[in-house]
Amino acid sequence: MKVDYSKSEYYYNRELSWVAFNHRILGEARDKTIPLFERLKFLSITASNLDEFFMVRVASLKDMVNAEYTKKDIAGMTPIEQLEAVNQATHELVNMQYSTYNRSLLPLLSQNGLKIIEKHEELEEADKQFVDRYFQDNVYPVLTPMAVDSSRPFPLIRNKSLNLGALVSRKEEGKGGLKKHLFHKKSNANKELEFATVQVPSVIPRIVQLPEDKDGTKRVILLEQIIERNMDKLFLNYNIECVYPFRIMRNADLSIEEDDAADLLKEIEKQLKKRQWGQAIRLEVEDGIDKKLLAIIQKELEIEEKDIYDIQGPLDLTFLMKMYGLEGFEHLKNKPYTPQPVANLAQGANIFEEISKRDILLHHPYEVFTPVVDFIKQASRDPQVLAIKQTLYRVSGNSPIIAALAQAAENGKQVTVLVELKARFDEENNIVWAKKLEQAGCHVIYGLVGLKTHCKITLVVRKEEEGIRRYVHLGTGNYNDQTAKLYTDLGLLTCNEAIGEDATAVFNMLSGYSEPLGWNHLAVAPIWLKEKFLYLINREKENAKQNRPARIVAKMNSLCDPDVIKALYEAAAAGVKIELIVRGICCLKTGVEGTNDNISVRSIVGNFLEHARIFYFENAGKSELYMGSADWMPRNLERRVEILFPILNPELQEKVWHVLDVQLRDTMKAQILQPDGTYDKVDRRGKDQYIAQEEFCKEYVQAVAAQEKEEKQSRTFIPETHIESV
Amino acid sequence: MAYKTFAAIDVGSYELAMKVFEISSKNGIREIDYIRHRIELGTDSYLTGKLTNERMDELCRILREYTDIMKAYRVEDYKAYGTSAIRETKNALILLDQIHARTGIRIEVLSNSEQRFLDYKSVASKGLAFQKVIEKGTAFIDIGGGSMQVSLFDKDSLVTTQNIRPGVLRMREELGRLSYRTYQLEELVDELIGDSIRSFRDNFVGNREIKNIILVDDYVSLILQKGILESGKKGQVDAEVFLDFVGDLKQKKSQEIASVLGIPEENTSLVYLSALMLRNMIRTLGVEMIWAPGVSLCDGMAYEYAEKNRLLTVTHNFEQDILACAWDINRRYQCDERKAQERAMIALNLFDHMKKAHGLSKRDRLLLQLAAILSECGKYISLTSVGDSSYNIVMATEMIGLSHLEREIVANVVKYVRVPFEYYDILGRTTTLDKGSYLKIAKLTAMLRLVNALDISHKQKFEHVKVVWKEDIVTITVETNSDMTLELGFFEQKAGFFEEVFNIKPVIRQKKSNI
Repeated sequence: MKVDYSKSEYYYNRELSWVAFNHRILGEARDKTIPLFERLKFLSITASNLDEFFMVRVASLKDMVNAEYTKKDIAGMTPIEQLEAVNQATHELVNMQYSTYNRSLLPLLSQNGLKIIEKHEELEEADKQFVDRYFQDNVYPVLTPMAVDSSRPFPLIRNKSLNLGALVSRKEEGKGGLKKHLFHKKSNANKELEFATVQVPSVIPRIVQLPEDKDGTKRVILLEQIIERNMDKLFLNYNIECVYPFRIMRNADLSIEEDDAADLLKEIEKQLKKRQWGQAIRLEVEDGIDKKLLAIIQKELEIEEKDIYDIQGPLDLTFLMKMYGLEGFEHLKNKPYTPQPVANLAQGANIFEEISKRDILLHHPYEVFTPVVDFIKQASRDPQVLAIKQTLYRVSGNSPIIAALAQAAENGKQVTVLVELKARFDEENNIVWAKKLEQAGCHVIYGLVGLKTHCKITLVVRKEEEGIRRYVHLGTGNYNDQTAKLYTDLGLLTCNEAIGEDATAVFNMLSGYSEPLGWNHLAVAPIWLKEKFLYLINREKENAKQNRPARIVAKMNSLCDPDVIKALYEAAAAGVKIELIVRGICCLKTGVEGTNDNISVRSIVGNFLEHARIFYFENAGKSELYMGSADWMPRNLERRVEILFPILNPELQEKVWHVLDVQLRDTMKAQILQPDGTYDKVDRRGKDQYIAQEEFCKEYVQAVAAQEKEEKQSRTFIPETHIESV
Repeated sequence: MAYKTFAAIDVGSYELAMKVFEISSKNGIREIDYIRHRIELGTDSYLTGKLTNERMDELCRILREYTDIMKAYRVEDYKAYGTSAIRETKNALILLDQIHARTGIRIEVLSNSEQRFLDYKSVASKGLAFQKVIEKGTAFIDIGGGSMQVSLFDKDSLVTTQNIRPGVLRMREELGRLSYRTYQLEELVDELIGDSIRSFRDNFVGNREIKNIILVDDYVSLILQKGILESGKKGQVDAEVFLDFVGDLKQKKSQEIASVLGIPEENTSLVYLSALMLRNMIRTLGVEMIWAPGVSLCDGMAYEYAEKNRLLTVTHNFEQDILACAWDINRRYQCDERKAQERAMIALNLFDHMKKAHGLSKRDRLLLQLAAILSECGKYISLTSVGDSSYNIVMATEMIGLSHLEREIVANVVKYVRVPFEYYDILGRTTTLDKGSYLKIAKLTAMLRLVNALDISHKQKFEHVKVVWKEDIVTITVETNSDMTLELGFFEQKAGFFEEVFNIKPVIRQKKSNI
């Protein structure tokens, strides 16, 4: 019987799948086998992830609900149903985050010589003096306390900022005595209470280290506790009745009418300012907050009861990432991995000569990102280089790539840079870079109307003796030298003529010229890529039907495109073996009727963020391997400029296949999607403990060591053959 | 290695395209960039005969961008040609001057035959592959947006060419106005072009065997170039395989076609229409193989540039094509081939001996040769107004490789050989001929009139003709035993115009053969 795989019962809701993903990261924070400080880092990641999830996804659901949009998603849920389910799931997640923090991590930190003073009331006398002095010298000058009364409206509470809210009462005239009510978090019903607030400044470190204990225990206190303790110094004519921290999340989706925007750069700048005023969608308050105080905040921010999160601990756990940087706890962290030099690519070598000898595959962060930076740096200085063209989505602060591009323009090269201004949460950053590049004389393109340019491609055009030669870098990750140390990505450096032609066509297209009549090797979204994937999947299906070898192995960040999922179900039903390595959202289910357990999904969460997109198709024995910037998500396939590129060199094909193979063998960090939607650890019975990321680290270190050894062994001393007579 | 970087700009009806090439005698022509910008100049010029200000601004903006790209590649030379959209603009000259002032780019306007000739040259740029294909009877089919050009090769030379309407875009527009069902599409396409193709076969192919098609177009070529169809060489496919493919296309959804062929979905209908047009031609002409070299007008421009700059060895004799075309016309209009050959021989003899007097070029020699071949073709229509009829035939018959101006020169020469010559103040009223061309017509006419005077009775058979030019007398000695009374009489009459043009007195002498 033929199954209709488009039915909603065969799909998970993407938001809930995302929450499940964040649970998997939280699982790392709860994993006792992981060093303590690494666990802090994972907990911090779950917090920053959740912030982004609220600002974008939950905000979007709320927009839909407000607009009375009732269309169901692929899993058959209306926006209201989704919002309710997400609400419940995120409350549970937050509870688990703080249970992890309070019950596991705090006691362990204390046991290991790091004490977090949770309440300023717990400070000893000497520490009190220390923090008050710290407040006076460092904090007080940057604070802007604000009281609300009939003449002063409720102030703007900035998105994601941490604030202290207080109820205050005017001091009786003539009685300027000390604030007897201070620190008694109970309001007095007989007094006229006013609302006051102060933002915890983000320019000052959130963690303040106290003088070391006699027994050598390091102690830290959070900045908001120091301010809370000194609140009376901010509102001199008031009695502080109670003080509690709170934090809000606002809708951060920009609504840019690109068609009407004469200058996209200015329009985005304008919208960014508005982001601070987006609708409040989540309020975090300290558990036990004064009810009157909460009522005022809730009313002013127009926030619903279910969007309030009572937090049993410090708000905004992202401070834990800073905690990771504290010195003296190296034994509680993973040994840092140093990205290895790329084999057979000597430092300082002429990168163009090397590429012209062979295609070069780069595997970050196991291998250094330097060749990519060198590629642009050398191009900027090379007199033979005519033009450099590059897409930029997210770049690091003080990016060497930006500097090299600017230098190239100053050196008279034609430099075309597509800076994607719509890269979410990097908009401000990218505006700065775009302006800088323009000033240097680069031709800056601000992306395409209605599309985000997410592909990662660089083209260097060089005039050589034999004519023009094109050098291309294609990658799965951003041109960001900092994240390249943390994200696992792959890149290819090539001067393959056909790929060079395609790269030229990509930039012509991005510059507003017509799309090419056809492509040699690249498949480009939003026009061709989805069809290409569907074609490749369907080809495997046809092969399976003809009893020819048929297998798909695909690695990506997210999988939620309904057409692709349906094609995968159908291929599996025809007998194609499908192994998916999906780090995050996965709307595909396993164990679906008719698919004969041919589909397996594993998610790897490790020290490095899995970020590469690799696609393997068996193709009846003539296997094909592709890499690219796109996930199998509608946004990537339909609303972004993405590139899928093939690996043509057989030696590199083997290397890329090895990347997939090692990940398929991971028994420790991989979690397997179960038919009920949960993720379980790999059943290790009869299997070794195998961590893919550690395996790669080991392999690359060994490869470099082997090369060094070989170089030493092959070293020969060259005797002088001619002695000049004196 | 020494190479030139050259840019070719095609200002087309629907698109402004630029290709950047590297050309060297070692590596030939290598395309390094191809930039296209969609701009519907045709929509304006076809309807109103003018370009709107907005369109003009856009055109200039893109041309300025193209200039920047040329600078980036350090392009040493460029050519920019405008085709029908510019051609059909009323104020073309003013427009082109404005474009030059605003962008620094000088656009030259091509006639249809010049445009097709460049397309043809672009194919010829494929060298040996091209020569190999045309060894057999071959049809050269150039499918454009508005019309298609169908030409025939016979024994290595292009012998005839015809413009047939509609082209693929115009066909899509015409079909768009009809309401039909998908399955009717094939029949409709056959009806729209079938009659023209059959007429072409009946009137021009005759008993030639057409084994191959050389295809220049934007859609089917792409498929053949991609090597998606099972075929021997890149760009080549057996007719049968192609016909099967067209059958398959019918079954496929446009999404699927787009995916497999790697083309935008909006173009799939044009692929299908082009394929159906081609199928009709394959079936009508009984073709066995199709070759799509995947070239465009810009490639022809590069070839022309390379040819002029002697950066490549020309493997095909294009002048031979033009002559072959002229002979084909000569035969079609049932002229005496032997006489025409004799006329041409004497005319060229005269031309070659008077180089210093006429100062004309090698290309003008070809024009004289063509005029000599075609000067009697009007007799097919009227025996009393041979000059005017010949003029009309030449003007109405395209010869690939001959520019419109050159064709007009030839047509005027064949006319004024027969009718009294009109001076520029009269001739200039009815044509757009410039003074240089007018003088050329006068000189060629004078020479051909002299040749015709030798052949008034059309009975002569000259054994040898000797031309000697000394100071202000040119002596033509003809070796024949026939009675030349008539020729000698008329020679005086014709000689007057020759003398007027060259200020040289022609003298005819008869030398009897020693038989």
